[in-house]
Amino acid sequence: MDTAVLHSVNAMPAPTWHRLAMNHATIDVPDDLALEHRADVRCDPALFGEAGAFDAALRGLQVHTFGTPEAACSLDDAKALVERETSPAGQDGFNPLDATALSAFQTRAAAVEVTRSVAGAFETGMGPEALDFLREASGAAVVLATAPGDAPAQASVRTFALEGALNACAIDVAVADGTELDLALTHESGKVSRGMIGSSLRAYVGRGATLRLSVTQAAGEGTTVLDDSGIVLDEGARLVVRHSVLGGDEAYGGLACDLRGTGSQASVTTRYIGQNSQKRDFNFVMRHRGEHTASSLNVAGVLAGSSEKTLRGTIDFVRGCKGAEGSEVENVLMTSDDAVNRSVPVILCGEDDVAGNHGATIGSMNPEQLFYLESRGLSSQAAEAMALRATVENAYFDAPDSFARAAVVAFGRVHFPDFEESVA
Amino acid sequence: MAQQRTHVDDVDRSLYDVANAEDPTARFEAGLTPEIVTEISRRKNEPEWMLDFRLKSLDLFSRMPAPDWGPSLAGLDLDDIVAYVKPATDQQSDWNSLPDDVKNTFDRLGIPEAERAYLAGVGAQYDSELVYHSMQDAAAKMGIVYSGIEEALGDPQWEPIIREKFMTLIPPHDHKFAALHGAVWSGGSFVYVPAETRLDYPLQSYFRLNAKGAGQFEHTLIIVEDGADLHFIEGCSAPKYNVANLHAGAVELFVGKGAHLRYSTIENWSKNMYNLNTKRALVDADGDVEWISGSFGSHVGYLYPMSILKGDRAACSFTGITFAGAGQNLDTGCKVVLAAPDTSAAVETKSISKDGGVSTFRSSVVATERAERAKASVSCQSLMLDDKSRSDTIPAMDIRCNTVSIGHEATIGRIADDTVFYLMSRGISEEEAKAMIVNGFAEPVSKELPLEYAVEMNNLIKLEMEGAIG
Repeated sequence: MDTAVLHSVNAMPAPTWHRLAMNHATIDVPDDLALEHRADVRCDPALFGEAGAFDAALRGLQVHTFGTPEAACSLDDAKALVERETSPAGQDGFNPLDATALSAFQTRAAAVEVTRSVAGAFETGMGPEALDFLREASGAAVVLATAPGDAPAQASVRTFALEGALNACAIDVAVADGTELDLALTHESGKVSRGMIGSSLRAYVGRGATLRLSVTQAAGEGTTVLDDSGIVLDEGARLVVRHSVLGGDEAYGGLACDLRGTGSQASVTTRYIGQNSQKRDFNFVMRHRGEHTASSLNVAGVLAGSSEKTLRGTIDFVRGCKGAEGSEVENVLMTSDDAVNRSVPVILCGEDDVAGNHGATIGSMNPEQLFYLESRGLSSQAAEAMALRATVENAYFDAPDSFARAAVVAFGRVHFPDFEESVA
Repeated sequence: MAQQRTHVDDVDRSLYDVANAEDPTARFEAGLTPEIVTEISRRKNEPEWMLDFRLKSLDLFSRMPAPDWGPSLAGLDLDDIVAYVKPATDQQSDWNSLPDDVKNTFDRLGIPEAERAYLAGVGAQYDSELVYHSMQDAAAKMGIVYSGIEEALGDPQWEPIIREKFMTLIPPHDHKFAALHGAVWSGGSFVYVPAETRLDYPLQSYFRLNAKGAGQFEHTLIIVEDGADLHFIEGCSAPKYNVANLHAGAVELFVGKGAHLRYSTIENWSKNMYNLNTKRALVDADGDVEWISGSFGSHVGYLYPMSILKGDRAACSFTGITFAGAGQNLDTGCKVVLAAPDTSAAVETKSISKDGGVSTFRSSVVATERAERAKASVSCQSLMLDDKSRSDTIPAMDIRCNTVSIGHEATIGRIADDTVFYLMSRGISEEEAKAMIVNGFAEPVSKELPLEYAVEMNNLIKLEMEGAIG
């Protein structure tokens, strides 16, 4: 493993002032970590698909969307085309001051659409550098694929930290038209002095199909977690994501969703806690390309100790996504003076016939809520600790399978002595 | 069935597009060199420290990268920009003493008329120098100082104060165009309002850039002492040329304890202008700064007035509207630093994009560890008038104190069909209904302006609704 530093992880599509240090994250990867690809996968054996199922699905979507298997041009050619239309080196007699001086990200965004390439537009939340890194570290991907007419299917994948190792797992998913898949990813660890867990998910959700993705991260101390996803939705497809991010010294989560098909929908709910000096870093991108698509991001968490959290949430209305709607809501409860919260809720919009909104509230506990709790004998510290614990308990109750439940119980036991009894 | 769409005319700029003839000998050579910077300083007979400051800034400028996150600056070649253009007159205090073409320009813009009607003082800059400056005697008797900043710099009473504060809020190393400003700044105003002094009528500075391919780099420094109150208005315009012009001014505002400053701007640069302006306010305890901002012109705009709330209970508000039409990429917004207990900030912005224009709302709210019980609310609304345009919202929040309350909301979309339908059901035509909605959208900004400026803004927008077009 040559890579020592991932320089640009969770980069938001539209950067802002570098001084704020929010545009992306940087991850140090110790050179001497051993590479492991140990994951427990539990599902009906019939669900295992052929290697290349995801790429084949995207090729099908390419033909279905653009009527041709080929992209119109490369991204570089597309950028050159966009720049020719807007740059000082434009056509003779054309005054560049009459053209709109697009920013670098606006040029790139326009160019991606010019390529007319589903695969070329594919992205994950953590970005290309992390995708390459995790795919290389993971070895062969676990491939899960439903077939048309299949009954609703379930799959569970558990990854765990190993001392002195990066244990990574790549998963490719193709959910066939009209089918349903519940996929549960669990990341866990006992206490290790140094370890990394990585997962890289690429998923295609077919016409009228549904993917329910549950990610439960209950890693212990000493662990860094990289959870990266890129999901493409075909016509009428539905994606429902639930993240519970509880542990790990550093937890990076990225999710990008290409709402390509008309009427496709994505809903992402993320709950997290940060304690001690833990770091949480999220990048969610909802890319609306299809007409009448809908997305919702709902992120809430509790920051205690000197923990730090960064959330980059982007709703992008790409030109042509008429009738699309996107919303983003964030609530952050900061229980400590030393905690740091960074939020960048972004809306990018190249289409007029859309409705987008976001709202965020950040701060301490609502005085009315606090008063209510204090009137019942709870101190403010106890009330805030209760919020922390409630997030873990909810993770237990939302846990989709026994892997996730066991991981949350093991996590809760470390932090709350009576946790097991309270959720029993 | 084709989607019905509201048509909104471009902002009418014919009033502003009249260019006067230039005296070629009044222009410095294009580009930026130590020799040019030294010559600017020499002509102004500046103290040595200012020349050193300029040269250090120029060195910084040459080493700093251009921003890579905003609208493209590829069309701005600084080797082609003329840093200094001397107008054909010295500063006057009587409009009739100005050359006819300069006087006529400001007459057309309505500045003398506004001065007579409701202003306590006016400064008018033409290219690189102030050409007119005047303040009512009543204001002078109150101890208020309103002069050209270079004039103040030559006054032993004010020189130490300017030296103490000049480019401390916007240090040259802050960004590339702050460094450029530090190197070649010229003209601008100095305002000093003594403690417990309230000026009932606004002061206004108007900046007119007439010279083709030139830059304007005026510096505005305002000190509002404890308990004082001031409304300052800034206007700017330029005729349109087929080459790039540059505006890289700087505004530094010092608001004392319990003081209040309202800073209003109607920016209507021509569409060949790169407007890379920097504005900052430092607010002491119980002080309050209000920014009112209308951005209509420029080819490219980077404009984010910043409020640093350093004193307990200091407050700021920012009310802004941006109108981006064909060929414009306007990246506007604001920055707030909550750096003391019980500070508060309210941000409300509107943007309209049409005909391929790009509008970006960009903001940052930073609450430091000291910002106990601080509050901030940010609201931005964007209206897209067609599907050729673009509107982005990029707000950032960095919160380092757990007793703060920060709220943020943003919406984006087009004129809602049901709103139009509601108004039509009350007997209003579709055309009128859409016009009402767009005018209402801009109203939070126009209502904060003096009446005459609100009228100007409405004229500027000139939202002529031509009804439903299939």
